[in-house]
Amino acid sequence: MAAYVVHLAILAGIYIILTVSINLIIGYAGQVSLGHAAFYGIGAYASALVSLHWHVPFPAAALTAMLVAGLCGLALGLPTLRLKEDYLAIVTLGFGVIVDLVFLNLEFTGGPDGLPGIPPPSFWGIDFRPPWLYLILVSVIVILVLIATYRLVDSYHGRALRAIRDHEITAQVMGINTPAYKVVVFTLAAALAGLAGSLYAHYITFINPETFGLHTSILILTMVVLGGMGSIAGSVLGAVILTILPEMLRQAHAYQELIYGGLLMLLLIWRPEGLLGRGKLSLKFLKREG
Amino acid sequence: MFFQQLINGLTTGSVYALIALGYTMIYGILGLINFAQGEIYMCGAFVAVLLLATGKVNFFLAFALGMAAAALLGVILERVAFRPLRGFHPLVPLISAIGASIFLQSLALLLFGPNDRPFPIQFTFSTINIAGLPVSTLQIAILAAALGFMGLLVVFVRYTTYGKAIMACALDRDTARLMGINVDRMVSLTFLVGSALSGAAGIMMAIYYNATYPRMGLLPGLKAFSAAILGGVGNIPGAILGGLLLGVAESLGAAYISSGFKDAIAFAILILVLLLRPQGILRGRGD
Repeated sequence: MAAYVVHLAILAGIYIILTVSINLIIGYAGQVSLGHAAFYGIGAYASALVSLHWHVPFPAAALTAMLVAGLCGLALGLPTLRLKEDYLAIVTLGFGVIVDLVFLNLEFTGGPDGLPGIPPPSFWGIDFRPPWLYLILVSVIVILVLIATYRLVDSYHGRALRAIRDHEITAQVMGINTPAYKVVVFTLAAALAGLAGSLYAHYITFINPETFGLHTSILILTMVVLGGMGSIAGSVLGAVILTILPEMLRQAHAYQELIYGGLLMLLLIWRPEGLLGRGKLSLKFLKREG
Repeated sequence: MFFQQLINGLTTGSVYALIALGYTMIYGILGLINFAQGEIYMCGAFVAVLLLATGKVNFFLAFALGMAAAALLGVILERVAFRPLRGFHPLVPLISAIGASIFLQSLALLLFGPNDRPFPIQFTFSTINIAGLPVSTLQIAILAAALGFMGLLVVFVRYTTYGKAIMACALDRDTARLMGINVDRMVSLTFLVGSALSGAAGIMMAIYYNATYPRMGLLPGLKAFSAAILGGVGNIPGAILGGLLLGVAESLGAAYISSGFKDAIAFAILILVLLLRPQGILRGRGD
């Protein structure tokens, strides 16, 4: 039982990183990404491949994962972030499908069989194989990520991002370089998703394309909307609830996606600010004229 | 070989075009991407297949009822998931549409199970020669039906009062309202027409691939959206052209480049179009 709780806590930690990172894009910059699981996957594969082939230590593998996922985010973000929100949603969704197909069809990603035998992290003389040690590692990284995002959104840059979300043209007029901000935040979020991917790969020690498909992107999105777009505490709560809830409702497994879809619709109609969204930041108050 | 792939591409492309018309019309009037368009397509196919499986209705009635069910679903969806959110930040209805799409897909999964259903009646199709090249009559029938529906839509939009009213709303909702057009009713009508076309597309694909399953709408829906952007969102001839081009590109790409990446071709084209010519081939209303 205790081992199971630790397992869930590790997964929740990984989802918190994913949710907090996509919340930067959705809740702060006001852009939709439906391909976040692709960056998660890119990070997982990058980290697994460098560990398997070159036996690099975990910190270097995790950094590689962040770098590769971040570069992919930059490459996707540069041309597409000029687009309106809804176009961006489709492009990122299409990107997710393409990345999924790449994992499935390439030789060195192992195709549908994936990559087994990824080494668990072991560095600074500590072997992180026992789950509770891994939990400590994940917790430390989650806390660092949370501190960094809190500092970011409370800074000048965070306010600039919210200005872009609320009204892009006004933000531009105020002298904010909106395309640069959007690209940077998208790249940053992709890199964080890559980090989450690395943590996942070295914990489960086996990855295949199935984990990084569209349903994972949707799950992350649901976590953000449930917790409240534009609220970091909300993202954490959303991630924890939707990691634990499916486990408690094991018998209702078949209804899982039905619940997520319904939850998204109902939340937006009745409580668009989510569980913890603050009035000031909630999208309810972004109602546009006309 | 090349000719055969071209015909295959035109057949699937004409179906993408039918779905793309729904996207384009709805985007034109509401500025909203109806993510659940693929599920409306799936609903049309399921209703027709289930009705035919009872053996009590003939093909044409089942086809019409399938379209009607899809249209009804579209109208209900607009009422439930989009209308309460009109005027919000564009993120909000977009995410609601994604929710609707997942909800409908998993509902179908629960109701009908994950397995493919074959089309209940078998048509006997032959291969005929056109200018010395073999073409299946099934493909000709699908192409002809799709083009017929597109023609009807163009006539409806250009020459009927309701069609013109929809266009007026798409151009400027507030002015249309001042001219005495009931905008809400026109939005409902747009969903009705667009969804009926998607339903028809679903039934045709159910016959073509001889398979109906809950997730059948996912990829055609996304590809049709790419087609709508390719042609210029909000532009009706553009959606038709975009659909056909995309179908052909996909079919040729699968044959000559790599069949494993068949589904990636549409999205690669989408990203390229948005990069090089975001207004689409024919100028659309989106920017």
